[in-house]
Amino acid sequence: MRELSLNVMDIAQNSISAGASLITIAVEEDRPGDTLSITISDNGKGMSPEQVEHVTDPFFTTRTTRSVGLGVPLFKMEAEMTGGSFSIQSKLGEGTTTAAVFKPSSVDMIPLGDINDTINMLVMMNPQLDFVYTRKLRPETGEEREFALRTTELREVLGEDVPLNAPDVTLWVKEYLAENTAELLGEAPDA
Amino acid sequence: MTVKEMADACGWKLLAGEDGQDNQAEGCYVGDLLSWVMGRAQAGNVWLTVMGNLNAIAVAALADTSCIVLCEDAALDADAQKRADMQGIPVYSCTPNLYETAVQVYEQLK
Repeated sequence: MRELSLNVMDIAQNSISAGASLITIAVEEDRPGDTLSITISDNGKGMSPEQVEHVTDPFFTTRTTRSVGLGVPLFKMEAEMTGGSFSIQSKLGEGTTTAAVFKPSSVDMIPLGDINDTINMLVMMNPQLDFVYTRKLRPETGEEREFALRTTELREVLGEDVPLNAPDVTLWVKEYLAENTAELLGEAPDA
Repeated sequence: MTVKEMADACGWKLLAGEDGQDNQAEGCYVGDLLSWVMGRAQAGNVWLTVMGNLNAIAVAALADTSCIVLCEDAALDADAQKRADMQGIPVYSCTPNLYETAVQVYEQLK
């Protein structure tokens, strides 16, 4: 897809369809190692070994409305085209972990895109589910930096009466992600 | 015109999907970024690309393009060939580049 964040949205939708109550999304950039890793884990119903084997085949899909599913196959292809790698691990009744590793220096690298918007949309559209989003950066020099957004913590602070899709919450999440991302990337905050 | 007539006129070589050669060629789309093509190619389009993998066959099936033309002698993977045969999606090969091939298609569809 034209942005990797759209792939994240797509894979997370698979997790939601699998009945997950917790979805963990990790974006880790290692600049000296020239890797960008995107990992999406869920506690959904999982897949059988046979399903796992076929999930990267676009003509194998659980969808009933059409016979072609390209979400996972494209994510895999995009990672491998940069010289990276792709894996899916899944267990019935336990959940699924999808991991794609990209080589950002490759000419075929697709931009990450607006990952914060993807996370914010996922939380807003699925207020009953929990999300953990972590972003890490190992810069060329200096120490590794990271931050996280955990909806369980938000729930504790907000109490039971405030849903996670309340407009004020969505706005707060947007600003939290924007500020922490700017700090992580070492960009000057807006004056 | 059918894609077979188009292929004969343009000098393309059939690599797979013989059963679909009577598909009507209506318009043309050029692109290699599969997710992009998936949302933009129209049904019946002659699709010019260099992507000869299984995912490209899936995109052609989804978008209902009339055929795939692999320009600049781009290779077709073995599993993609098998699937194109099963789906009846004609896949052709040619030596000219995407631009030159698009011009040929334009002339035929005029």
